[in-house]
Amino acid sequence: MSQNKGARGGGAGAKGKKSGRSGGEEKREDVLQAVVIADSFQTRFQPFSLEKPRCLLPLANTPIIEYTLEFLAMNGVQEVFIYCGAHHEQIERYIHDSRWSPIARSCPFSALEFIRVADARSIGDFLRDLDKRNIIEGDFVLVHGDLVANIPLDGALAAHRARREENRDSCMTMVLREAGEGEHNTKAQAITPVFVVDPKTKRCLHYEEMHPFQTERYVDLDPTVLENAEAEARTDLVDAQIDICTPDVLALWSESFDYELPRANFLYGVLKDWELNGKMIHTEIVDQGYSARAANLQMYDAISKDMLRGWTYPFTPDCNLLKGQTYQLRDENVYQEDEVLIAEDSEVADCVFGRDTHVESNTIIRNSFIGRNCKIGSNVQITDSYLWDDVVIEDGAVVKHSIIADMGAVGKGAVVQQGALVSFGVKIDDKVEVEASTRLSLLGHNEQALPTEPEIVGAQGKGAVFRNPEDDEADDDDPSRLQKSLIYSLEEFDICSSSVSTLADDDYVSDDDSDAASLTPSQPTPRSRLSSFGSDDSRNPSFSSFHSDAVHGLLEVLRGVSGNFDAEKLEFTSLRLANNASDAAMRRAVATAFVRRGAELMNGEDALEPVKAAKQALTGREGAAEFVADVGVGGDTVAEQVEFALAVHKACVSSAKVLDVNKAGNLLAAMLQQMYDLDIVEEEGIVGWWEDDRGKEGGEAMVGVRAKCQALVEWLENAEEESDEENDDDD
Amino acid sequence: MAPPKGGFAPSLEKFLDTLKSRPVEASVELLISLLKRHQIRGSEPCAIATAHILLQVVAKDKWNDVDQLLGRVQLIGRKLVAAQPRELVIANIVRRVLGLIRDEAEEDRNDNNDGQSDVASEIPPPVTSVAGGTDSPSKPMRPPVLGNLGNFARTQSMFNLLSDPDTAPVVWSNGSTPRLGSGASTPLAHPQSTNLYSFRSEVIDGIEEIMDEIKQVDEQIQAYSEITIHPGDYILVHQPSRTVQKFLTRAASKRRFTVFLTVDPSASLASEDPYASFRKSMASGGATVVTVLNAGLNAYMSRVNKVILGARAITGKGGVIVDAGAATIARAAQEQGRTVIVLGGVYTLSPESQFQEALIEWGDPSKYVNFADGSMVSQVKVKSAVSEFMPGDHVDTYITNLGAHTRDHLHTLIMDHYKEEDIAFDFYGKMQR
Repeated sequence: MSQNKGARGGGAGAKGKKSGRSGGEEKREDVLQAVVIADSFQTRFQPFSLEKPRCLLPLANTPIIEYTLEFLAMNGVQEVFIYCGAHHEQIERYIHDSRWSPIARSCPFSALEFIRVADARSIGDFLRDLDKRNIIEGDFVLVHGDLVANIPLDGALAAHRARREENRDSCMTMVLREAGEGEHNTKAQAITPVFVVDPKTKRCLHYEEMHPFQTERYVDLDPTVLENAEAEARTDLVDAQIDICTPDVLALWSESFDYELPRANFLYGVLKDWELNGKMIHTEIVDQGYSARAANLQMYDAISKDMLRGWTYPFTPDCNLLKGQTYQLRDENVYQEDEVLIAEDSEVADCVFGRDTHVESNTIIRNSFIGRNCKIGSNVQITDSYLWDDVVIEDGAVVKHSIIADMGAVGKGAVVQQGALVSFGVKIDDKVEVEASTRLSLLGHNEQALPTEPEIVGAQGKGAVFRNPEDDEADDDDPSRLQKSLIYSLEEFDICSSSVSTLADDDYVSDDDSDAASLTPSQPTPRSRLSSFGSDDSRNPSFSSFHSDAVHGLLEVLRGVSGNFDAEKLEFTSLRLANNASDAAMRRAVATAFVRRGAELMNGEDALEPVKAAKQALTGREGAAEFVADVGVGGDTVAEQVEFALAVHKACVSSAKVLDVNKAGNLLAAMLQQMYDLDIVEEEGIVGWWEDDRGKEGGEAMVGVRAKCQALVEWLENAEEESDEENDDDD
Repeated sequence: MAPPKGGFAPSLEKFLDTLKSRPVEASVELLISLLKRHQIRGSEPCAIATAHILLQVVAKDKWNDVDQLLGRVQLIGRKLVAAQPRELVIANIVRRVLGLIRDEAEEDRNDNNDGQSDVASEIPPPVTSVAGGTDSPSKPMRPPVLGNLGNFARTQSMFNLLSDPDTAPVVWSNGSTPRLGSGASTPLAHPQSTNLYSFRSEVIDGIEEIMDEIKQVDEQIQAYSEITIHPGDYILVHQPSRTVQKFLTRAASKRRFTVFLTVDPSASLASEDPYASFRKSMASGGATVVTVLNAGLNAYMSRVNKVILGARAITGKGGVIVDAGAATIARAAQEQGRTVIVLGGVYTLSPESQFQEALIEWGDPSKYVNFADGSMVSQVKVKSAVSEFMPGDHVDTYITNLGAHTRDHLHTLIMDHYKEEDIAFDFYGKMQR
């Protein structure tokens, strides 16, 4: 910055338009500031994001953050603050070596600063930190580091300023892009944002996110919303999270210390508490231009394809954003850099090829992005795929709709099926078939090297299947699960996809007769519903952190690593209070922890039988059984026992990823049996669970696991008369 | 408190405003990214931006001799061309400036050979190698003229001379060939340091004249409108550029004729008619404007006398880069034997002769397909050209600020404006790495 100041010194003051801050710290509103959030605190790009932050992953062979910064430069932003979390050193190094570096004369910004927050765990922590720093002087643009957009902001900025001058409580303007009611690749899959907007004043009245796992498929409106003359509920918007904010927004973040996400928490919360804080948030809905966030692999896929078709113009590959890029558009919509060799008899169409890439004869490549220095053999077929730099594809290999990261290699005749993610440096041996949606990596979730699994990648291969235990722990109903794969699919989940594709219609048509009738008697009671919203774990975003913390803590105790159950109970309760977790969340956490302990024992060195494993898990540590009874079940009623049994069931189902379905079933049966023996769950509870419909739906895994308990339930039912005596005996 | 006028987004005007206060290198980089982002687009803005940046290079950069300066200009030229290879005018302006520098250096060398001081010289120095003419005594940026007539004379001189439609081309090709390839093959002498200052200012004056030339193009082309358009003519225009609009407006002040206006379908849907002011000025002159949709074009063609198109760039062999849609019109006109006239400043005339596919610019498909239509976006590949190439044999006449030319004459114009070695200079081969 000092450099820039010095350089500008000579001619500054000619028009007073320069950004030179010669006037010291005085407030200058003609300097547009922007804040880039370069960490998402998500795992949706794993296994790639283990080694490289999301914003540096190549999109059309250019790191995504380039597009974000271009977007800011295009809109005349002068001061940029980048918040980094994971891999901050990589991002900082990249920027410092790039043309954006504040020292480089090519930097269009007068200032570019990095901010690190040591203990940040969410975007909310970043923004609360920003509030403390006092560096924001006026309106600023808040974007994420994975944004690709070409929308001119001048209109929105002017509208925002006009509103703010009229009413100081207009604190934020969201720039949204229309994308039609129908299916659209560039709309976020799985989570549908619903904006309720007053079309005249453009004020956003309500925000909610909907997803296919919801049982209730409607949005609850506060009655005050209806006091407006008009309100439109819109699900047709692409929300790239481009926000024009006043500093008041940061104050709002600071006031609510538990907000984590800019939309699901902040926007929802501020709108809900409108009567309290009086702050208004507006929308600027545009029908021109492009804006989208590569927030998950599906969006990455969609944006890449849009770019190939020119929607992101002028940011197409032949714009050559990066210094040294030499893309030119050739026939068949092929963008090609210099020094690319493609054999004459190969068929390429709708592709991007980086420098020094060689394609041998008789190869077919369509709809794909090939990085620099890739070697592609003959008779290869590559469709809809992403090959980053230095990838080697040998003769006769087939790659379908997959991502292969830097230094990846696919052997002769190998097949990479749809949705496979092949991370940095993984080698797939000759004639190996990588199954659909497999994630291969050299590193595990904790960034330690994984031992190679020859049965997956072949004898000469390198790499192993990537698993993240947090995924297994995650709530079944968490829609972010749907966003972790490259291909959006609901097949493995128990929702019929047709109901999802027409999500908007669904709310009003198909579900109305069944759910609406039972759940909303006649007149909805919005207030009570809204208050219950906060405690409903499936939609409470803080749930996931509570869940993982709780499970982790419990497991430590169960493994005997630390603590005892008395202390754990206290800790657990405080955790629950801190997160405002619901009973259901508690149950799920307890069930998950115990089932995982059981699974661990079964998979461990001793390879215990399910019965022994269950016994060990429940009785191995002093106080464990009491803990389950007090905290897990939480009460004496049969209903609560049913709920807990169901939670154990679900936990077993998710453990089926580690065990197989049979073993998981055995574990469930053993756990129930053991809990019955320990008087944690009564006979009515188990039978009640058995008869509960929720256990029967939920896909093959749910049913498969459940089937193993048939014997137990029959035994319970048959032994009904004896049970009294047995109980007496046990006591 | 107020935000900068016209919003925050950078533009040509803002770029030019900040040019003086920025280091040259930063300005170059800024221009490159503006060109890449299409925030400076179109022939005239690109040409002006290029001329300004080269002026900064000459004025501010450190260089000790002519070769260094030439090297700098070539390097920056390459960078700019790589940033936006489709705007041929960028390379044109760079070549013009290179030629200018060579000329001035040559002149200095001769001055020194003659043993005269550069300011005192009243007599034009002899030209060593002759490629088509002698140095004109009226050469405007020469210091003696400057000294005698002052700034007023300088700005007035050549372009007022040229703006006379009847004499201009003659004067240009016979009398004043200031940038002819004189002394091209001889190594350039290094101007002595005492001369460096005046050399610099001479080159700067030369670049300023190029800028003036660019700005005056519309006005000068207008002058030919009365000769071109006759009373009762039916003229077809396609998405008229400012040059074409002015041309017709001038004609309309003297003549009554009919204009068929073909408009891009997406533009006709826009709430604001981009040609509203054009229609108004035409109507006030008594000319009739009929809007024609592209589809109905051929039906009107038999009525049309002349088709007038604006050029984005004219290539050496007569091919023209035009707005998308114009090439079809020209083709149709040719089939029916109608006259096709292309308007464009001399600065759009590019010595590049071979046409590259890559020069066609593809825009975003939103002109034809709404992005909100999810199934179209995902299933259908829509290509939308912004510009297209029109082969030279579809064009009958080219009107530049120097007058009307036939295709064969373009070559002479190119030879007049660019130097052999600059024409040969390869901007495209290997882009900057």
